[in-house]
Amino acid sequence: MKNVSRRAMVAGSIGVALARPYVARAAGVTATVWQVQGFVPEEDAAFRKTVDAYEKLSGNRIDLSIMPFQALNQKAIAAIHSGEVPDLIFHDAPTTILPQNAWDDRLEDVSDVVEPQRTKLSATALLNASFYNSRTKQRAFYLVPIKQACAPFHMWGDLVRKAGFDLKDAPKTWNAYWDFFKPVQTALRKQGMRKLYALGLQITTVGPNDGNGLFAHFLIANGGQGIVTQDGKLHTGDPAIREAAIRSVEFMTKCYTDGFVPPEALSWNDADDNNAYHEKLFVMNFDGTLSPELAMIKNHKAYYEDMVVMGLPNRNDGSPMPAQLGAGGGFIPKGAKNIAVAKEFMTYFMRPEVMNENLKNGLGRWVPSIPSIVKEDPWWLDTATDPHRSTYVHEAVLGPTVAQYNGFNPAWGKVAAEQVWGQAHADVIKHGMTASAAIDKAFGRVEEIFSKVVFG
Amino acid sequence: MGRALVREWPPAWRPRGSERAWIAAFLIPYVAVFVAFMAYPVAFGLWMGRSPALYAELVRDPKFLPTVLNTLIYTGVGVNVTMFGAILLSGYFMDRSRWIKALLVLFMLPWALPAIPAFLAWHWMLVGHWGFMNSLLDKVFGIEGPIWFNDYWLALGSNIVATIWKWMPFWTLIFLAGRMAIPQDIYDAADVDGAVGVSRFAYVTFPLLGNLYLICTLLSTLWLVGDFTTVFFVSGGAPARTTEVLATYGTHLAFDSGDPPLGSAAMLSILPLLIPLAILLIRRLRSREVQL
Amino acid sequence: MKRIGKIALGLVLAIWTLMPVYNMFLIALDDDAAEYSGHIWPSDWYWESFRVIWRQDYWYLEHFWHQFGNSCFMGFMTMGLTVAIGSMASFALDRMRMRHGWALGNAAMLTYALPSSFLAIPFVHIMHRYGLSDSLWSVIAAQTMFAAPYAILIFQHYGRLIPLELDDAARVDGASPGQMYWHIYVPLMAPALVAVGTYALLLAWNEYLYQFLLLSSTDSMTVAVALDQFFDSDEAPWNYMMSTAIVYSLPPIATYYALRRYMVAGLTMGGVKG
Repeated sequence: MKNVSRRAMVAGSIGVALARPYVARAAGVTATVWQVQGFVPEEDAAFRKTVDAYEKLSGNRIDLSIMPFQALNQKAIAAIHSGEVPDLIFHDAPTTILPQNAWDDRLEDVSDVVEPQRTKLSATALLNASFYNSRTKQRAFYLVPIKQACAPFHMWGDLVRKAGFDLKDAPKTWNAYWDFFKPVQTALRKQGMRKLYALGLQITTVGPNDGNGLFAHFLIANGGQGIVTQDGKLHTGDPAIREAAIRSVEFMTKCYTDGFVPPEALSWNDADDNNAYHEKLFVMNFDGTLSPELAMIKNHKAYYEDMVVMGLPNRNDGSPMPAQLGAGGGFIPKGAKNIAVAKEFMTYFMRPEVMNENLKNGLGRWVPSIPSIVKEDPWWLDTATDPHRSTYVHEAVLGPTVAQYNGFNPAWGKVAAEQVWGQAHADVIKHGMTASAAIDKAFGRVEEIFSKVVFG
Repeated sequence: MGRALVREWPPAWRPRGSERAWIAAFLIPYVAVFVAFMAYPVAFGLWMGRSPALYAELVRDPKFLPTVLNTLIYTGVGVNVTMFGAILLSGYFMDRSRWIKALLVLFMLPWALPAIPAFLAWHWMLVGHWGFMNSLLDKVFGIEGPIWFNDYWLALGSNIVATIWKWMPFWTLIFLAGRMAIPQDIYDAADVDGAVGVSRFAYVTFPLLGNLYLICTLLSTLWLVGDFTTVFFVSGGAPARTTEVLATYGTHLAFDSGDPPLGSAAMLSILPLLIPLAILLIRRLRSREVQL
Repeated sequence: MKRIGKIALGLVLAIWTLMPVYNMFLIALDDDAAEYSGHIWPSDWYWESFRVIWRQDYWYLEHFWHQFGNSCFMGFMTMGLTVAIGSMASFALDRMRMRHGWALGNAAMLTYALPSSFLAIPFVHIMHRYGLSDSLWSVIAAQTMFAAPYAILIFQHYGRLIPLELDDAARVDGASPGQMYWHIYVPLMAPALVAVGTYALLLAWNEYLYQFLLLSSTDSMTVAVALDQFFDSDEAPWNYMMSTAIVYSLPPIATYYALRRYMVAGLTMGGVKG
């Protein structure tokens, strides 16, 4: 105790001496909220509007900081580890933060906010919001899931037409669907588009999201969905899953070595594929949310005529393929001073009408975690005024969905951060390994990472 | 003059009463900043990275040893090429003709240019198959350039070249200052002995600048080992995070994998190499005081 | 023959130096999209992106001039503090003939055994404890911390050029150490102070990691951090990013070229003495 107070005193005196004068705190209860910056300005505006409405309603004040994605990730992790935390963190993709910190008992249980809406929330949202706490030895809700997103296919319809193909003819199974675009490249090259590629396959990235998400979908398409199950167990020993992983690596690396993927895809970061897609360096991309389209919404021809969004085909065995959803929303780090206000704000945010209003204002880049919203408000499925949203909502809300693996076991986040799958692809492409050798190596590493996480 | 400088500096002399208070007053700002922003974070960092289990975990990470190796190659090649180039170029810039003086002004630009814009420019110059470098190769020489960041050696090499580009001007300036302190009569004497060109550099200039060269090499090694910005912006670790150095790797572990203690441990792991270098640096700095 | 060699080397150096700089302008001056087309010459001299910055006309650049002000505040504060703290410390260590003063100078140099980036993670935690997270002062403290040992090193070497007899004479005339510092030491050290100040400014402007980790709110963000928004986004107008980078480069370049003539004299670091 003595230690703490002395430290606090030193910290305090230095703080007083050096901190820039901030606006004095208002008399009412002020909660500090960190929010991730949207990919389109409308998302930030929508969040501010929700905050304003809450402030009017409650008389409390929200002290809001908006930060870019990476900055928020790092600030959040530093804050949680040092104990100097905001009252609420609102994040699009908190999967690098939540699983491990819930495990370490560094987050507030928000079950009392989530439970009242339990029946309304989608099963996937509930899964994405609950995490295992190794101290209490049980799962609980640590995320208040407001919004969800899936990855649809994005393509330049004008390029497909120019090549003489019709998207209606696109096959209904996964591998065949990808293969459909290969002759599009051949045809366009014959027409003189010398440097055009068919597929924006993020085969190995240096960023945290795209490559891992893509690989997970390939696994699902090849019947390897159960690589990690809800109980947190890893099933790399299952021959069917190993087979699915090998077939995924084989297919993806072959697309690359056959020359249907831009060669620089091997050194892309998470934004590069989007940029190259916008420049029409390739025809088709598989990527999270509607951001590739929304980024170009001011370009009327591109958004309304040229760009096409498509949902998922079936798995390779012909069965319906679920989309893997990520969830965004609010979470409260342990040590927050105004937990009551943070929870009250999130409870307010969870009201279907508030959630709906907020996500609509954000241009529908995210879908609500309460599925009934999209059925009741025609805006979501309206194809007359928006060419893409309905397809996206069908995939993310109305079709079959599964949760991300991250919530099942915190080890998965480390697998993703290490880019184990990207490394497997690089092993095949650059070092001439066979797909099965590359998967043996990757599985070995995954098993090692998982072995350090022991439940119960 | 020479003799005055050989003596121990400063001459031992015991300050009295009020002078002690003055000394304290002059030193307090530095000591306070040092304790609050250096000693405490260092101690905290060591405390964070105290668990031996962290290092066992690091060694098992297949990315760790390659990253250490990258750091050594990056620093080793980067520092030595920079230093050797700088000492040679400082001779070139001793020429006082007007256009060489003007060239020196231009040559210093990379140092004055902030690192982020500079390395962004390098990244964009080499990125993909349509970066400026490949466009230039294509348009001017008709050669199809490689995808620079797809290849381990090319990507690592790009990082090294960019860092040399950025830091060589500064060290050239330091050596230029060193060379200007060499009295002309030494060279006159060397001229009489017929030492010109390479032999003049090898037998006159270099021995005189030897200690400075060593000090600068040590300093720049210590600065470059922890370099984050170059690698982060130029190759970004591509391809597949194989060109990362400890600084980017540790940050990655801390914030992308969400494990700050492991990140700290990754960065601390190079300390056994750096502390001897720092001690050597300090010894060289002191020994210079009695050496002419 | 020798002259031709010199000119050839000069040309190579000029191209080597300017190529990345040229590329910055190439990207900044092309309108959006053209950077993928393999131009080696700006096709349209599109100055629009600079106009956008001037008017803060893009959502990432909404607060550009505020952030630019933050960058300047951080850079010039680091410059001033490094010079002040470093010169006071070296005055005490060297001019006041403190016994064992060298030990403190050594401790300062030992700072460099731990490169700044290696200290970033604990530093961020401690700034949280000090209540200085998201404060420009925490970044200034970090920059000053890493510039100071080099400052002391240069000051100690440069200070040897000033005869101690001057101090003795002043002492006999009854000058206090404070007066000696201010009226003798500082004026005579001017070239070194300027050189080290410039060095500290450039160090602060070069640094990214600490700013990135420590600053996050719109209010405290510097341009370096704001540039980061461009990398995260799906919609990245690279011409805006590069023009932002160019504008951001101007203060240190201007400062360096304004103070250039002091640099060689001020950076003398021993080696040979005559």
